[in-house]
Amino acid sequence: MSFEVIIGIEIHCELKTKTKMFSGAPVSFGLPANTCVNEIDLGHPGTLPSLNKRAVELAITACELLNCKVDRLIRFDRKNYYYSDLPKGFQITQQFHPIGKDGYVDIEVDGGSKRIRINRLHMEEDTAKQFHHGDVTWIDFNRASTPLVEIVSEPDIRSGKEAASFVEKMKSLLEFGDISDVRMEEGSLRCDVNISLRPYGYEGFGTKVEIKNLNSVNNVQRAIEAEIIRQSEVYLQGESVVQSTRRYDEASRKTVLMRKKEGTVDYKYFPEPNIPPIRISDEFYQRIKDNLPKTAEQRKSSYINDLNLSEADASILTSGKDLADYFEAIVHCGAPVKNTANWLISEVLSVANLRNDRKFSDWISPSDMADLLIMIKEGKISGKQAKEVFADMVNGGKPKDIVAKKGMVQVSDEGQLFTWVTEILNQNTQSVEDYKNGKDRALGFLVGQVMKLSKGKANPAMTSEMLVKELSKR
Amino acid sequence: MFANRKTENIEKEVMDALQSARRQQPYLNAVVSFLDVEDAIEAAKSSSGKLAGLPIVLKDNVLTKGIRTTGSVAILDNYIGAYDATITTKLKEAGVVIIAKSALDGLGMGGTGTNSHTGLVHNPYDLNRMAGGSSSGSAALVASGAVSFAIGSDTGDSVRKPASFVGIVGVKPTYGRISRYGIIPYASSLDHVGYFTRSVEDAALALEVLAGRDDKDMTSSFREVESYLSNLNGDLSGKTIGILGNVIDSIKNKETLEIFDHLIEKCVTAGAKVKVITMDHKLLQTCLPVYYIIANSEATANHSNLDGVRFGMQEWGDSLEELMTNSRTKGFNFLLQKRFVIGSYSLADENQDLLLRKAQKVRRLLVEEFKNTLAEVDVLVAPASSDVAPLLTDKSADQLSARYLIAENYMVLGNFSGYPSMTIPMGKINGLPIGINITAKPFEEQVMFDVALGMEHLTGCKNMVAEVIV
Repeated sequence: MSFEVIIGIEIHCELKTKTKMFSGAPVSFGLPANTCVNEIDLGHPGTLPSLNKRAVELAITACELLNCKVDRLIRFDRKNYYYSDLPKGFQITQQFHPIGKDGYVDIEVDGGSKRIRINRLHMEEDTAKQFHHGDVTWIDFNRASTPLVEIVSEPDIRSGKEAASFVEKMKSLLEFGDISDVRMEEGSLRCDVNISLRPYGYEGFGTKVEIKNLNSVNNVQRAIEAEIIRQSEVYLQGESVVQSTRRYDEASRKTVLMRKKEGTVDYKYFPEPNIPPIRISDEFYQRIKDNLPKTAEQRKSSYINDLNLSEADASILTSGKDLADYFEAIVHCGAPVKNTANWLISEVLSVANLRNDRKFSDWISPSDMADLLIMIKEGKISGKQAKEVFADMVNGGKPKDIVAKKGMVQVSDEGQLFTWVTEILNQNTQSVEDYKNGKDRALGFLVGQVMKLSKGKANPAMTSEMLVKELSKR
Repeated sequence: MFANRKTENIEKEVMDALQSARRQQPYLNAVVSFLDVEDAIEAAKSSSGKLAGLPIVLKDNVLTKGIRTTGSVAILDNYIGAYDATITTKLKEAGVVIIAKSALDGLGMGGTGTNSHTGLVHNPYDLNRMAGGSSSGSAALVASGAVSFAIGSDTGDSVRKPASFVGIVGVKPTYGRISRYGIIPYASSLDHVGYFTRSVEDAALALEVLAGRDDKDMTSSFREVESYLSNLNGDLSGKTIGILGNVIDSIKNKETLEIFDHLIEKCVTAGAKVKVITMDHKLLQTCLPVYYIIANSEATANHSNLDGVRFGMQEWGDSLEELMTNSRTKGFNFLLQKRFVIGSYSLADENQDLLLRKAQKVRRLLVEEFKNTLAEVDVLVAPASSDVAPLLTDKSADQLSARYLIAENYMVLGNFSGYPSMTIPMGKINGLPIGINITAKPFEEQVMFDVALGMEHLTGCKNMVAEVIV
């Protein structure tokens, strides 16, 4: 017997702002602990929240990309609970009036399209990060009050595969929307999955289990698939699933119980008195709508239709915003489109994968990359030379400097080529004879000799052409 | 008096103030911490600020960087301010010298001056009596003559009530007029920064220094700050003064009513029009319970940061939960714990409809009624208390009591509505002062000050100082 799987997903996504949700302290990742905090983040007496305008802009952008209805009156509430990662003893969130409601996204599954409804999108602040070492807990407040949006899907997802596709789609929308850097491994996008099973045809819902802290798209799928098996077995043994929170254990590929949920916690929500309701003006709203960043899909179709790239190439180039931005910047500098795409997909991506670093512009600026591609196109260097130059560029060199330093400039001047060709033909009468006798291999040998004489600078295509012409005269 | 003053010897003025506050301390017990003043005196000497060299006192819920700020509760006894409150900065820029931080009813919760972790605060007019609260120490030090200006805060009537009990001017301007950033809160939607002076002119000047938009307080107003002092005009002719009839009806003390009536007669003689206005009596009786529920609900959340984890007094335990429980149990006295329990109960999901949300609805009704009442008049007045300061042995204060349900609690309308409201002395009963409360429409502080000045002329109660027998 098999069951219908009901899955809803909650995504917590850190917003790409310079400062915190409710304070002027900088937002950071990976800086020394407790260096990006002020009295507000630490919940000192007398502090008050000041709402980050940029965070509101990004939340509205996210609402638009997820087709949510935007509540133009922004209101916040307090969620009260005592914990050491929550300095104020309450979290400022939007319980009663989320900024976005009733949206949807379309995901691709097995070649088809499926619509997943979004229940709500709301703004809130992150908590501090805790590190447990034995019986000691260290707290890093750098993360406290980092702006977040929480996005909650309707329980429309039916399999691990759909869930993975949904998370992938959300990552793409939020990344291309410039809303978040969506790094699941760093926690800037966090995913909680609610999953229950029910017999096909049954209208109600089974007992829900929450799987928390999933740190990659693959793990979302694997965790769900493991949990489906676990819950099925529980039901088939005639037992019932316990409402609980679980985590995914990568080593055993199973979900592990974290805690049972006994009743619901009363968070005593009430409206935040220190933030008066804020009306989003028509101008503010319209400006955001008019400047919505292009989605990956929009960019992909423009690469196909306007730049004549293949669907496969366009897909790879829009697989991440860093790559798509880099591609467009290089083309913008005058590099040929198709060659740029080829070079990015083959050479640049393989280096990026080796380095595990997608900040392409940090290691080769778009204009340097364009210079390289233009030199190839203009025949100033050969493809082989280009790869040598590229290897040096990765280590920080400028392409023109490298070419000059290595004396790599390709000679396409017919006068110079003629001198070299004549000299080689005069020196290699046996090869000339062989060629005349139909031994084509002799041509390759002669080209090689010219290359050797020119120290590799002779344009190989022109050399070969000139040799054929001169041989025919002898 | 410090409005239009010329300072001759800043050092002497400050040291005199400090000395008298120190001398009075064993009797009034108004101070939590005395401050080192040397650096501030030097800074004041070169200041061109409006209050250059003026010695002042801050209520100990006003944050001062590097200086102990206790909120008069044990859990913050060792807390050193991590930053300056916005008003601390503004006052320093105006050139003041802060000589002391004064005692309050812990976290502003209370109206008696008997609920501070440093002990009872005494009324300078009669050491056996209360100074009122929660801004008890600040009120006492202005009344005793130690300083002529002190900061307080007002959530229910915590500036205006003690002002009445010690015969000084106590002002709570419109909500949003003065930034609350850096004031240890009681209840955010009701909290106001307020202050004490001994004359209406000083009060007008003080607001010029304190008021103004602060981006760190989202509820602070963008309205421009007016020149209250130079615009001050005490002419009562043409002014319409409303008398809140419900308060008068509920006061049984004849002497209070005589002093009040006498002042009103003089106002009429001075050209004012007077109208008795009666609000819905039943609605008005809800003031206290509505206040209790809203204030304590907000307070419960506001003070959840005092958990012994990051700062303040820490009482160790075997788990995080134990540490928090132990710190809070030891750090708050019974009265505070009681208020937190009331707040927490009102916030509980199953009770919110019946308590917090209902209280908020009634608050809106009260404000609507209050707005209508003020619509026809320039200001609304009534005695600021039904009687003079109670004896310290009077245990009925701070209890829910029907005796003076309206007379002792109506001033909270100024907090519900956020309208500007102030108390000035109107006379004395057996040598003990009693005040009149004046409330105006939002941001009409100038009208309020004008009427207050007119009345001050009529009462002669200006710059009153108690003789503290030391």
